[in-house]
This record gives sequence, C-alpha cells and structure tokens, in this order.
Amino acid sequence: MSQVTTAAATKPSTAQPKREGGRYVLGWVLHNVVWIWLIALVIFFGLFNQFFFTTFNLQNIMVQATVLGMIGLAVALPLLVAEIDLSLPANLGFSSAIGALAYSDLGLPWFIAMLVGVAVATAIGFFNGLCITKLRMVSLIQTLSMMIILQGALLALTQGRTLTNLPDGYVWIGQAAIGGWPIMPVIFVVALILVAVILRRTVLGRSIYAVGGNPVASNSAGIRVDRIKIITYTIAGFLAGVGGFLLGSWQMAITSNQGSSYLLYAIAAPIIGGVSVFGGRGNVVGVLGGVMLLTVIQVGLAIVSVPSFYVGMIGGVMIFIAVAIDAIRVRYFA
Amino acid sequence: MTASSAAQPDQDPFILKVENLTKRYGATVALSDVSLSIRRGTIHGLLGENGAGKSTLVGLISGQRVPTEGAIFLDGAPIANVDVKAMEKAGVFLVTQEPMIIDHATAAENLMLGIWPSKNGFVNWRKLRDDAARMLEGTHIDPQALAGRLDAVARRKLNILRAMFGGGKVIILDEPTAALTVEDRAQLFAFMRQLKAQGVTFIFISHYNDEILEICDACSVLRDGVLAGGTEDVGSLTSEQLSELVLGRGLALFQRERRTFADEAPVVRVRNVENGHLAIPEFDLHAGEIVGFTGLPGAGAKELARALFGLVPSQGSIALEGQATRPLPADPRAAFDMGIAFLSDDRRRDGNIASMSIGENISLSSLAAVATSGFLKPEAEKALSQRYFQAMGIKAPSPATVVDKLSGGNQQKVCLGRVLATNPRLLILDEPTRGIDVGVKQDVLRIIDGLSKSGVSVIIVSTDTDEIVRAVDRVCIFENGAIRVQLSGEAITSERLRQGAEANA
Ligand SMILES: Nc1ncnc2c1ncn2[C@@H]1O[C@H](COP(=O)(O)OP(=O)(O)OP(=O)(O)O)[C@@H](O)[C@H]1O
Ligand SMILES: [Mg+2]
Repeated sequence: MSQVTTAAATKPSTAQPKREGGRYVLGWVLHNVVWIWLIALVIFFGLFNQFFFTTFNLQNIMVQATVLGMIGLAVALPLLVAEIDLSLPANLGFSSAIGALAYSDLGLPWFIAMLVGVAVATAIGFFNGLCITKLRMVSLIQTLSMMIILQGALLALTQGRTLTNLPDGYVWIGQAAIGGWPIMPVIFVVALILVAVILRRTVLGRSIYAVGGNPVASNSAGIRVDRIKIITYTIAGFLAGVGGFLLGSWQMAITSNQGSSYLLYAIAAPIIGGVSVFGGRGNVVGVLGGVMLLTVIQVGLAIVSVPSFYVGMIGGVMIFIAVAIDAIRVRYFA
Repeated sequence: MTASSAAQPDQDPFILKVENLTKRYGATVALSDVSLSIRRGTIHGLLGENGAGKSTLVGLISGQRVPTEGAIFLDGAPIANVDVKAMEKAGVFLVTQEPMIIDHATAAENLMLGIWPSKNGFVNWRKLRDDAARMLEGTHIDPQALAGRLDAVARRKLNILRAMFGGGKVIILDEPTAALTVEDRAQLFAFMRQLKAQGVTFIFISHYNDEILEICDACSVLRDGVLAGGTEDVGSLTSEQLSELVLGRGLALFQRERRTFADEAPVVRVRNVENGHLAIPEFDLHAGEIVGFTGLPGAGAKELARALFGLVPSQGSIALEGQATRPLPADPRAAFDMGIAFLSDDRRRDGNIASMSIGENISLSSLAAVATSGFLKPEAEKALSQRYFQAMGIKAPSPATVVDKLSGGNQQKVCLGRVLATNPRLLILDEPTRGIDVGVKQDVLRIIDGLSKSGVSVIIVSTDTDEIVRAVDRVCIFENGAIRVQLSGEAITSERLRQGAEANA
C-alpha cells in the first residue's frame, strides 16, 4: 500500500511484529492442520505398535487409500460446483457388478466388460447431472434417491450373493506388485494428477471453480453453468467407475452391498481436506490429505488393537477434531 | 425516535467518538490510528478514494468487524466485544455498501429482519405485514414479492428502509445513493432531514460531491486509512475544494466531445424487441457512438440492456455489421461470441466471483482467448490480467489478491476490467461507475471514450445525470418499456435529464 506524504506518522510500536509473527505461525499451523495431524497420528501409531512402520502395513495403507481416494476425488468434484453426489459409492458398487456380470453372463472379454462397467458409472453420473440442471432437482435429494435405487439394483442383480467369478485379468491390477510394492496406488496417483491438471490448467477447471463460487455471476460472465455441472457429475461418475473396478479387483469379489460402507468416509475426506461444501474452494492436494488422514486412522486403530466396539467412536472423534480445528481456522484466520 | 434521546442540556455534544482506531488484515493496514468525533443530531459525511477505509471504519463502529487497536465510545460509554445485533440494540444501524438480502424471503420479511414484531417468541405476522406495507408506501415495491426477484435498486431500498425505520439513534449509510434515481435520492434526503430533526445522527458515505454538499453538516476525509482532513462546516466548501480534499490534488473533470452520426450508416441494428416489459420497434447504434439510457426503474432502460445480452428471454433481432440478422442472443455466452459485452449493476450478485482472485475474474469472460484447445496459457492469462489490473487502477497488492478482500469500488473496477478484456464491438454498461471515486471515475469515462474512438459502440445505462452529460453522444429516455425521448448534441443537459420523460422535447 502506498504511503501518503501528508499522512501523520503512525505510532511506532515495537511489540507489534512479534505478536503478528506468532499469529502468522498459528495461522500456518491451522492452515496445514490436516498434514500435521496426519504426521502426528503416524508417529503416535508407530510408537504404539512397531508393526505400523512395517513395509507390509505401509503397503496396506497405500492400497486402502487408493479406493477411498478415487471415491473421495469423485465426491470432491460436485462439491466444487456447490452441489453434492451421494450416489457415488453406490454407483461404484453397482457399476462394478455390471462389469463383472458382463464378463460372467454375457461372455465379454474381461477388459471390455470392465469398460462397460465404467461406462455405466459415467452414464449414471451424466444422468444425475441432467436431473439437477435441466430438471432443477435438488442434488442432495436426487442423488440420495439414486443411491437407494443403485443399492437396491445391486442387491437385485446379485440376488444377495457375492460375485467371485472374476477373471485373472480383472483381478490382476489389485494384486500386482513390483518388488513387493502394489501398483494399484499408481492408478490413484494418475487420477490425482489428471484431476489436478483439469482443475488448475484448463478452461473447464476454471469454470468449475467459478460456477461453485457464484453461479449467477458465472452465467453473466459467459459460462454455461448447466453444461459445467453436467460435465462435473459425469467425470465424478467415471472416477467412481474406475474405483469400482479397483475395489473389485483388489478384493477379488463384489458383495451385494459393495461400496456402500464408503459413503461417510468418501464425503468426509474432501471436506477434511478443505473442499468447501458451499462450492468454489478446495484442491486435489487437500483431498489427498483428507484421504490419507482417514486411512491412517482406520488402519492405525485396527493395529493398536483397540477393541472393535470402540473403533468407530474413536475414529469419529479424531475426524471431529480435524474438522473443528479447520472450522476455527476459517473463523479466525480466513 | 426513542424518548430518551430528547436533548438534555448537559449532554455530551458528541454522540460517537472513535479514538486511535486501527484495523489490520494481515500485512494490509485498512485503517490507521483514526480519531474522530461525531456531533449529536448532525449528518456527518465520510469521504475518500476507493479503498481509503470508509467501509472499514463504519464496519468497526457498527460491530461488524473487530478493531485491531483503539476504542469506540457511544454516548460516552466504551463499546467492545459487540456484534451487529448488540449495536442495533444500542441504536446503531448500518446499511452496508453491498445489498444484504435474503433472496428467498419476501420484501416484507427482509425489511423486518431481526426487528420482527414479536410476542413471547412468536412473530406477529399481521403486524409485520402492516408495518412493512406502511414502510414501503410510495416505493412501488410489493411487500409480498420475493426479494430475489427484485432489481438491484429495490433491494437497496429494502436495506435503507429497514435502518431508517429501525428506531436507531445513529444511522450509517454506506453509499446508499449509488444507482438510486433522482426522485429516490430526494425522497431519501427528505427522510433523513426529518429524522435528523428528531435528533437522529447520520454518517453518510458517498462519492458524489453534490450529495455531500446538499445534505451534510460536517465531513471527514480518509486517505489510505489515515484521517486526512475534514470540516465542521461543509457549507463553506465548493465541489472542487471537496474533490481536492479527497484526492489531495486538483481534479480535471472529463467531458467527451460529443459527435453526431447523422450521415453514417449504423453498425448495430436492433428490431422489434419484445418481452413482458419492453416494446422497442427499432434501435440503431453507430460505430464509436456512446448512447446513454435513462429512465425510472422498470421503464425499460435496464431491461433493454439485459435483453440485448441474452439475460432476459425476449423476441427480436439484432444485426451487427458484417453479421447476418439474428435473433437476440439466447444467453450471455452467445452474446459474448457475437461481440456483445455487458456489465451488471449488481457486482455482488452477477458481477464478480468473490472467492476467486482479481486476475481470474478479469480473464473469466475471455478464457478462450488465453487458452489453446481447452488448456490455459498461464503467461497469456497473466498478461491479460496484468494489463487490466493496471488499466483500471485496482488498489491491491497484486492481481493474485482475492476479490472478496477489496473495497467496494475496487471490486467494481475488477468487473469492469473483465468486461473490457473481452474486446467487445458492442459494450453495454449498467451503472459502470457505481461506487467508484471521483478521481477514478474520470479515468473510467476516459477509457470508455478511448474505446469508442477505436470503433466500439457503447451503451451506458445510468441514473447519474452528471455522468451521462459528460460521457455520451445521445440519450434515450425510457418510459413504459419504450424509448420516449431522444436527445443529442447541445440538448443533453443535466437540467433536461432531470425532467425525465414527461417534458417532451
Ligand atoms: N477482509 C479483508 N482482507 C484484507 N484486506 C481488506 C479486507 N477488507 C478490506 N480490506 C482492505 O482495506 C482497505 C480499505 O477498504 P474499505 O472497504 O474500507 O475501503 P472504502 O473506503 O470503503 O472504499 P470504497 O470507496 O471502494 O468502498 C482496502 O485496501 C481493502 O483492500
Ligand atoms: Mg466501501
């Protein structure tokens, strides 16, 4: 800010810089709270049980983070345009079952069958986008009903059984390892980078942030808001489809409620990572942080042999603390 | 209005005092060591350039924000750790610079927000409706209309009326008159004088010298967050002196050299525009011509501007030179593609994306121009943003600053920058200098003048007669959805414009 010559000299105060500095550090800490919390928990769990730092366990964390990561990334996209898609975990389960059945019942080659599954997931995303833009359905309710439909459809499709008739090619990616390290997380990393590039480097990404920030102004600025929302939902559906394939491949099975257990964690991960439920704010690095944090909490609690009756509650409290700290940051340091 | 405020002889003559008030946002000093006293029962003007700290100061006084340092005294009692609700209870009402409206509530509910007539915790809806109807008398606003459907001026009036009827002893108006019509202003000023006679004190922020001179008793000037001057006797000043006080230098007012286009062929031909509010059989514009649209709210000026940009579905056709005659654009994207750009009169609602940076906002309507096959070119985008950041004289550390953190006038400049960056052939500006200070206003008018010289046709919708007189070649005065009067050349005078459509030319 330019200093004006006529301005009276302001009182010099020596105590000021120190206080501002302290505040700055606190602001920085709160800003990166997800990562600091993550590191703290890793150290904590590691000290508690040496097993936490074993290669096997770290590999386990990476694999677990992959599926949650794919679905968390998918959930983040509609959030960025100030909408929500609750049907993504159900979409993940349903579409993977379609892929598996296309192999086992229709006799398609496994790769084509897998693509059919991903295509179905993408189409469901597209359809959700159409409903909330062209029909002006409220996304919370529309995707909630879609979730129930898809969960029901999965149950009907599998008749309550678990699909285990998966070809070798299909399950390969979930099991493959190079020098003992699983390669499934590579897919997640690729997805992360792709979404990051879309959001940061493309007209589409910029439009997504604009629409989430202020849809009315975006329209006046020449952005076709409905189109952007539909594309966003479609990409989210695609990511869920890929996540469904990875989950099926890794577990070598598709249960009659595949994916459903991810719902709350999938929504919590991006929000913990700083994606605003009001739209327009958040980035891929934050989503990654949220995903890693939740995965470490899950795996860590299992390892330190907390009695299983308490796992849910303690995990919930840890998430609560992360969200509360973030809320304090927004309240006092934004 | 409250009985207790009847002047007692030994009362402190100053109802409000601020002492050594400082407000910092991180490294930004918005207000620095400001001390000020406001005399009971006066109208105190607050002036200063965009970003000088006016809104910040009144935000601190009204409990909207918390000062970094300093103290505020109301009626001699220090106020600290208060919020807006507590200050309203203490009798201090603020009308914020940007409309504060709940879109899905009715006009009546918005008027009564937080001051609902209630009994035992239940809202007395009948009284609410009756009170609202009384407050809205003579404003043409339907108390039951959804606030989200009202135009910017009506939304503004809701905020002002709420404060004026709130029974406060100090009422702060942050640029209340921006975009109000001549009559609205007169009405507001009459109301202010009436309340002042009852002992109410006002703080009045405005960038219009004539308003300050007309209504204020005393005034203070802020410059870069510092109290730079003021007077207890506004009446002794001229408009030029006031500008000098604000800017710290003399001001050269801009005046366009008006042109006539009688023997040139028009480059924009608009035909048979019709929608619920409009019936315009014919409207032409020439290359490099600047036309002013005025009229009462709802008369058609804003409506035609929005229809031409595809914001209101309308019948009709438009032909730009070198293009075939086409229906009016169906949406803003189509309009931009035809070379038509539009600046809205409500920057908060449909001007800026407040959560994005200045640079991202400036390039938002020209993304195709700074991208190849969908991928942004960072250097090209940066160059574009930087260019308009400088051209508009936006006061911020850099184009990376988030728009939310800018002062109102600087947000307006960002909007204007985005619209200009699209390189339009037809530029439609609805209240372009709303909230912009006297100095920058001349710069903006100069920029528009320069664009017209490069062949751009411009429409300026404005209620500011002075601006119209200075900037345009021709004026269209609207009434009942039609262009009633057209003036050009010498005929364009402030006096004539103030008469409106009634006095036929
Ligand atoms: N939340 C914020 N964070 C950072 N800086 C801010 C914030 N709010 C205001 N500022 C800065 O404080 C300064 C004063 O702003 P203020 O809104 O008080 O100006 P103003 O005098 O009301 O200007 P205008 O005439 O444009 O409305 C500006 O430089 C602005 O950028
Ligand atoms: Mg202001």
